[in-house]
Amino acid sequence: MRRRDVLGVLGGAAVWTRRAHAQSPALPVVGYLSPESPGPFASRLKAFQEGLAESGYVEGRNVTIEYRWAEGEYGRLPALAADLVGRNVAVIAATGGAPVALAAKAATKAITIVFEMGGDPVALGVVDSLSHPVGNLTGVSSLSVEVSRKRLEFMRELLPNASVFAVAVNPTSPTANSQLSSLHMAAETLGVKLHVLQASTEQEFPAVFAALAPLGAGGLVFTSDPYFAFRSQPLAELAVRHSMPAITQSRDFPNAGGLMSYGGDFTQSHRRAGLYVGRILRGEKPSDLPVQMVTKVELFVNLKTAGLLGVTFPPSLISSADMVIE
Amino acid sequence: MIRQRLRFRGLFRKYFLALFLAVVVPLAAHGISEAWFGYRDQRARLDQLLGVEARSAAAKIQAFLDEITNQLGWLVQLPWTDEPDERRRTDALRLLRQVPAIVSLTFVDGAGRERLYVSRIGLNRSESRTDRSGEPAVQGARASRIWYGELSYFRGSEPYLTVAISGNRPSVGIAVAEVNLKLIWDVISAIKVGDTGLAFVLDGPGRLVAHPDISLVLRGADDETLIPFRTIREEIIRSGARFATGRDAQGKFVAAAAAPVAGPGWTVVVEQPLSEAFGPIYAALWRTAGLLLTGAAFAGLLAFALARRMIDPIRRLEVGTQRIGAGHFDHRIDIRTGDELQRLAESFNAMTADLAVSQERQERIAKLKRFLAPQVAELVDRKGDDGVLEGRHTEVVVVFGDLRGFTAFSARAEPEEVMNVLSQYYEALGRIITKYAATLTSFSGDGLMVLVNAPVPVEEPALLAVDLAAEMQRAVQELIVGWQAQGYRVGFGVGLALGPATVGRIGYESRFDYTAIGSVVNLAARLCASAADREILADAAVAEAVMGKRVVNPLGPRLLKGYDEELPVFGIPFDTSPRAA
Repeated sequence: MRRRDVLGVLGGAAVWTRRAHAQSPALPVVGYLSPESPGPFASRLKAFQEGLAESGYVEGRNVTIEYRWAEGEYGRLPALAADLVGRNVAVIAATGGAPVALAAKAATKAITIVFEMGGDPVALGVVDSLSHPVGNLTGVSSLSVEVSRKRLEFMRELLPNASVFAVAVNPTSPTANSQLSSLHMAAETLGVKLHVLQASTEQEFPAVFAALAPLGAGGLVFTSDPYFAFRSQPLAELAVRHSMPAITQSRDFPNAGGLMSYGGDFTQSHRRAGLYVGRILRGEKPSDLPVQMVTKVELFVNLKTAGLLGVTFPPSLISSADMVIE
Repeated sequence: MIRQRLRFRGLFRKYFLALFLAVVVPLAAHGISEAWFGYRDQRARLDQLLGVEARSAAAKIQAFLDEITNQLGWLVQLPWTDEPDERRRTDALRLLRQVPAIVSLTFVDGAGRERLYVSRIGLNRSESRTDRSGEPAVQGARASRIWYGELSYFRGSEPYLTVAISGNRPSVGIAVAEVNLKLIWDVISAIKVGDTGLAFVLDGPGRLVAHPDISLVLRGADDETLIPFRTIREEIIRSGARFATGRDAQGKFVAAAAAPVAGPGWTVVVEQPLSEAFGPIYAALWRTAGLLLTGAAFAGLLAFALARRMIDPIRRLEVGTQRIGAGHFDHRIDIRTGDELQRLAESFNAMTADLAVSQERQERIAKLKRFLAPQVAELVDRKGDDGVLEGRHTEVVVVFGDLRGFTAFSARAEPEEVMNVLSQYYEALGRIITKYAATLTSFSGDGLMVLVNAPVPVEEPALLAVDLAAEMQRAVQELIVGWQAQGYRVGFGVGLALGPATVGRIGYESRFDYTAIGSVVNLAARLCASAADREILADAAVAEAVMGKRVVNPLGPRLLKGYDEELPVFGIPFDTSPRAA
């Protein structure tokens, strides 16, 4: 009698565990590929999950998310992407820039990839058409890369007397060349001289700032690059330390004490990427989902920093700013 | 039997159908008319509703465009000078911030030269003085104040619209705005038609300007995507003022209506899935169908039960009449329906009881007729009381008749001859006994006994008995003439006596006889035995009773067998018929 009871309990436990196991494969798995670590990416991830929820998917309830973080080492992205492909996830969300999208694209032709990036997906060879992406990719692009020349314009407007500016570029970025040529053309139009400074790791940042004064640069313009965007805090600190007016693509920069930023609204682009992942999970084909451009470009200015740096924003800048930090 | 079964079925079917249809036809008529009118009402309501929704949606789209033109209007109020206009530049930048849909702004002065260009993406330009007077936007705005360009797709995907506005005089110039129509999405996605209905916007050639599913818009001028939208717009145009039905991009049936957006020549189409638009009427239809089915089932059951109730008693009546017809008068038809059928069954049962009584009476009369004259038997039966046959003491005349020499004849003659003689003999006597309403108590062989004054009393029984005896003699003597011609040697003697006797029925079960017991019977029998052929002998009581009314010849005292002393005997003469003489 007692032995039978024990067997019964064991049997019940076995059934229970099997059922628990049987339930998890039923949930679709989203592979989430990010170039950074969870900390700086939290606001982006939140926006992504909001978009996913808007299309009816909530993590843990009806979808599972497998996270892969490159933690700033962009060289690890291909291996992480391949790992997700090996796990045979339902869809890969490649967010946080063109390098992530390209790494995912190289890893699979079968699994649908939804990208989130700042550059032109056609020019970068991610997709061949915005309206009818052929293949297994679609996604969202903010206009951050395209508006890097506007950053130079804003800097020139802020400092009408300066004739020399510096541009910080990440040579490993796939958009580096196109942004530089656009900036050189803009400098010509604006009649200013441009110095290009390179930095692809955080360790090179101090050297960039140290080089500014000898060059006589009035201000520093950062090209659009996720690596820079996710390192707004140290950049803002360096800029203040060197009393250097600087502009980046991300609102994180003025929020962290930088002077200003001009770039696409990343909450919108990440939210829409989440929305597209949900629609792919529902069974829509990537070719039916045109690549979305986030039209909203936002100008953030920090008046406190301006006071520290001793610069004054002209009314035209203040009036066109989306957010003025006082 | 088979024919009856068929007839039975036919009646059942008739009743069943009549009852069933009586319920189902009005129910169905009501249900169908209800559904039809409900459907018409719902269509009319939908016409109204979708029309209002379409106009409201068009007004919202118009408001989106009006917001842009209103804002632009502020910038074309002051005339351009030759100097750069820094204030207008600031205003333009503020406008970009204020209206997110505007991607870029171009200002052209009265001479058609570009004075200012501000953009979210590209570099701003000031005082480029490029001649733009030949551009359609500038010419259009000059001609009609507000000018809307054709829908264009940025990089084949994002829909853009050029809007130009001129001031109230040429010197204030013209403002041209590039508008990203993707931002209408906020407006269009907020429009809800019913629960799941939506609105979308098409331009003149039928390209998608706005749709809640932005990915459809971003496909650009893709004919395959656009076909369903164009088709439904054509359907709406065809159906005129009423709403149209068609299929949406997913192939679902929708009801749709449209309203124009005047400025850019767009059409706003609102659509609602037919399943939702006609939801109430579908629900009503299902309800009606359910009610009809339930009603029909109920009517069927009711009709079946009622038809059964009607047919069952009829069937019992049928069986009952058959049994009664077969003579089972004890059969009773048992119907308790409490209606005319029960009454019919009861009258059937009463009739059967009457028939049984009547048959019993017939049988009793037949029995009485055996020893009573038929008229007496009828009388007894009519009175319904055979108490008259009960035993009692009364004065009777007993008449005995007997053939002489019959025993010897019957020993010699053939049985046929004997039976022939007896049958002629009894036939003749029976007629007479019936005529005189006398009671034949018994006969055996050639002898018979007849009672007068019992059981039914008569006036002057002796006189009747004497006349009876005389007629008996006359009739038999006529027969004897014939018999003697055939060589049969037989005669006939009669004896009668008057006196008290006990009369009544004797016998058992159905074998009853009426008879008299007493010395008068004995005396009459002895007188008969004593009588010769052609002789009627009567006792003194008879003679005394008929004295003076009939001829009675005293024959003097005679010693009769069984009597110790001689008794006076009287002969009654009778005149034979002329033929016998």
